Amino acid sequence: MWWKSRRARANELDAEMRAHLEMDTAERIARGESPDDAARHARQDFGDVTTVREVTSDMWNGEWLHQLAQDTRYAVRGLARAPGFALVAVLTLALGIGANTAIFSVVNGVLLRPLAYAKPGRLVSIKSQFVKQNLDFFPVDAAEFIELRQRNHAFQNVGAYTTGAVNIGADQLPQRVTSATVSPSLFATLGVPPAEGRVFTEEDAVPGGAAVVVLSHELWVSAFAGRPVVGTEIMVDGLKRRVLGIMPAGFDVNDEAVRIWTPLRLDPAKPAQYRGGHFLFMIARLKDGVTLGAARADLETLLAQWAAADGGSQSTTPGAPGFVHVPNQTTHRLRFDDLQTELIGGIGRSLWVLQAAVVFVLFIACANLANLLLMRAESRHKELAVRAALGAGRGRLVRQFLVESLVLSLAGAVAGVALARVGLRLLVVAGAAGIPRTTSIAIDARVLAFTLGLAVVSGLLFGMAPLMHLGGTSTSLALRDAGSRTTATSARHRVRRALVVGEVAVAVMLVIGAGLLLRSFWNLLRVDAGFDRSNLTTFSIALPPRVYADSTRRVAFYDNLTRQLAAAPGVTGVAAMSGLPPQRNIDANDTNYEGYVPPPNAPPTNAEYYQIVTPAYFSTMRVPIVDGRSFGAGDDAMSTPVVIINETLARTYYANQNPIGRRVQVGGSKTMFTIVGVAKDVKQGGVDSKVGTELYFLYSQTPSTAYGYTPTSMNVVVRSTLDRNAVSPLARRVVRALDAALPIVGFRSMEDVVSDSVARPRFLAQLLGVFAAVALLLSAIGTYGVLAYSIMERRREIGIRMALGATEQGVLGMVLRQGLALAGVGLVLGLVGAAGLTRLTSTLLFGVTPLDPATFAAVAAFMLVIAAAAAIVPARRATRVDPLTALRAD
Amino acid sequence: MPQRRAPALSRIELLQGTLDLIILQSLRWGPRHGYGLVQLIRATTRGVLQVDAGSLYPALHRLERQGLVKAAWVTSERKQRVRVYKLTRTGRTQLDAQRSRWEQFSQAIAGLFVPPPPAPEEV
Repeated sequence: MWWKSRRARANELDAEMRAHLEMDTAERIARGESPDDAARHARQDFGDVTTVREVTSDMWNGEWLHQLAQDTRYAVRGLARAPGFALVAVLTLALGIGANTAIFSVVNGVLLRPLAYAKPGRLVSIKSQFVKQNLDFFPVDAAEFIELRQRNHAFQNVGAYTTGAVNIGADQLPQRVTSATVSPSLFATLGVPPAEGRVFTEEDAVPGGAAVVVLSHELWVSAFAGRPVVGTEIMVDGLKRRVLGIMPAGFDVNDEAVRIWTPLRLDPAKPAQYRGGHFLFMIARLKDGVTLGAARADLETLLAQWAAADGGSQSTTPGAPGFVHVPNQTTHRLRFDDLQTELIGGIGRSLWVLQAAVVFVLFIACANLANLLLMRAESRHKELAVRAALGAGRGRLVRQFLVESLVLSLAGAVAGVALARVGLRLLVVAGAAGIPRTTSIAIDARVLAFTLGLAVVSGLLFGMAPLMHLGGTSTSLALRDAGSRTTATSARHRVRRALVVGEVAVAVMLVIGAGLLLRSFWNLLRVDAGFDRSNLTTFSIALPPRVYADSTRRVAFYDNLTRQLAAAPGVTGVAAMSGLPPQRNIDANDTNYEGYVPPPNAPPTNAEYYQIVTPAYFSTMRVPIVDGRSFGAGDDAMSTPVVIINETLARTYYANQNPIGRRVQVGGSKTMFTIVGVAKDVKQGGVDSKVGTELYFLYSQTPSTAYGYTPTSMNVVVRSTLDRNAVSPLARRVVRALDAALPIVGFRSMEDVVSDSVARPRFLAQLLGVFAAVALLLSAIGTYGVLAYSIMERRREIGIRMALGATEQGVLGMVLRQGLALAGVGLVLGLVGAAGLTRLTSTLLFGVTPLDPATFAAVAAFMLVIAAAAAIVPARRATRVDPLTALRAD
Repeated sequence: MPQRRAPALSRIELLQGTLDLIILQSLRWGPRHGYGLVQLIRATTRGVLQVDAGSLYPALHRLERQGLVKAAWVTSERKQRVRVYKLTRTGRTQLDAQRSRWEQFSQAIAGLFVPPPPAPEEV
């Protein structure tokens, strides 16, 4: 019963020995000895009780531990005798395992680790969906929030939020931070209480309520140095607001690094007034026992009855007068998604592709190590044979090999974790724009467990190689002649060649994958975004709405700013715009087009993007006007409201007529804007998406027309011959002179803006490029190693060939052919494998097919060059073999 | 009076590995406790083979761990709680193997004492 505890077994043995002594003593007494003598003699005869106890207990418990310790000592001693080998092995492994640890930290932090809310698996993201307009994840309006909260049967609680930016009067400089305007129910829904003070109540959220805020822990520390602020007033967008509480560190919504929370003021009694203004996102918590599927079923019932429940006061016929977007089952749906799944979006595939890539790298590293260990085992052939003959069981030898490789892989894992810590920091910086949840990426217990598992598995894997060797020869054969060539030797060569072929194949797959993604990234960068991004610098300014309450003041500010900047030496153009291309949020505002006849039952016409610009937008961005005219000096607050449309809009709504002179009507308002020009398409939804319909309005006309909205936050672009670093102080100086309390944010070149808009493919391509390079290097080293070793083994044969008149070229060619043959087989296998695997990445590719012949051909040629390079050194060494020395050796 | 021992020269140092054979073979005749085994071995070899307790118990426990013997606590006829060892099926198989090896070995040794046949004449 081997599972008994150590103590139980010791007690048992003691009882057993006691019984032995008692029986012996009794028998001696029966033979006539005195009781004292009998006991003494019995003990003498038995021997040392303590030793018996120790030896026996070792039998049970200590034996394998003891042997393990001994094997570990052997392994460490053996490795210390070959420090070069140990160093190469540990470094290779550290690279392979470290890359895996780093990428798994990202996979873990982004995909696996649950969101930092109470029972996050019960949280549901709710957005609206406009089926016919292909808007799948659109905000909801406040009416939908109020109504869903009242009518649903599936949720414990529903919260709503929208995010923006505010200027904070901090201790030192003013700061612009991300803000979230939230329903009080959001905090309860997420289930996170404040760290200090309190969160909003429903009374804080009634229209006209007191000016209150809740701070994030991060803002409290960065702007107020952690001093007591709860109950005091701080400046937010130029207005005093009382601080109610502070949220715990790390609390956030939608991974937006929200720093300050303000109440969403709604009148729940009159939802209809909010209909059509889509700006909110909802998060709901499922009731206990209700599944997401059940909630979705409930949603269908709600959607079917929404208009009726609303009293039927709104028209539900698209295009009819008074039509607004009441949710329904066919055109305007709501959607329920698991919060975490929705938040991380499509990043999952990219991260798993990276994880697979690093596993490939580790596989190559293991193949190299297996080869190294195999060669090492061969050079230790005789030693092993002797040890086997001296009685070290085969099992013991096997275990010693495995322990040695485990010692290596664990050392590699330790070094790998250290590497991963450094790499992860770089990775998070590089990927920050492209991957969500970067703050939750860390090397935690799960990552360490993964690393340990990986180390053990890879240790066992490459530890197998010398075992094959052990299996291939009988010990007696080895003893007879450790150096002779036997059939087993050629079996070993087969193993080594198979390993090289395997690693070349894997490297080919990785390089092709990286090549396709790099080409995709390159294609993305080469997309014509519709404007000239060179020599353009951008920054963003948000005017506090309460301070600039009068919209003509807003217009005056941006007018002054653009004029003063444009007057600076070296500046050739300045413009401000509400949305910065090539990637911004879609507006999809209802818009009527004069002269356009919609097909029956079509949804209301809209414009996907509204762009509010200052007059110099088209000249500064270098966006050509293809028809009509640009904004001119004659267009101002007093003149006829004008609008410029993009080519896509002209094609969509004025395919067979001249749009110039036609008028458009902004949803709901009465003002008609006259189309004066058609501009070339500019990307707005990302360089990889189709251009949407776009309307350009003039900033100075927004207050005077019924456009109804003069944005406070604008993106300024400066075209100049100045060095990029000179634009920033210039802009700061001009802004400070206009309003010292205004922070400037987002200083970037437009080149960077475009590059950041493809941050995710960039991140993926860069990392995969690095891994492919490592794989290539490792497989080249592997090819080199095997060839070099085989040259050493065949020295004698080569010597004979040369003695018999083989030329240097002949020998060189022979070795090169051997190397290229190995690489060639690997290459073919790799190409076939890549053809199968790259299909999985097709959703990540842009402008290149998964089987792109150019990439495949280029990689194939490149691999052959690398293989030739790896073979040339051993080949040259082979030509320098001196026939005499070679023949004399052995 | 100390127990009479066989003269030193006639005692045989146990060859490594033989102890297992001795124990297994002795258990062949039925289950026994440790003390009983010591006595049995001494009696059946007329005192030539002496197994001391210091080697016996570790060996018994090793055989138990290897599954060759099985142990159980019973109360002896003298009302003594004793741990009794019994041969398992694997133990029996192992014993047979060891015994045939031993027989080969002893026959080989015996062969050494037979005068060799005359060597064939060299060609």
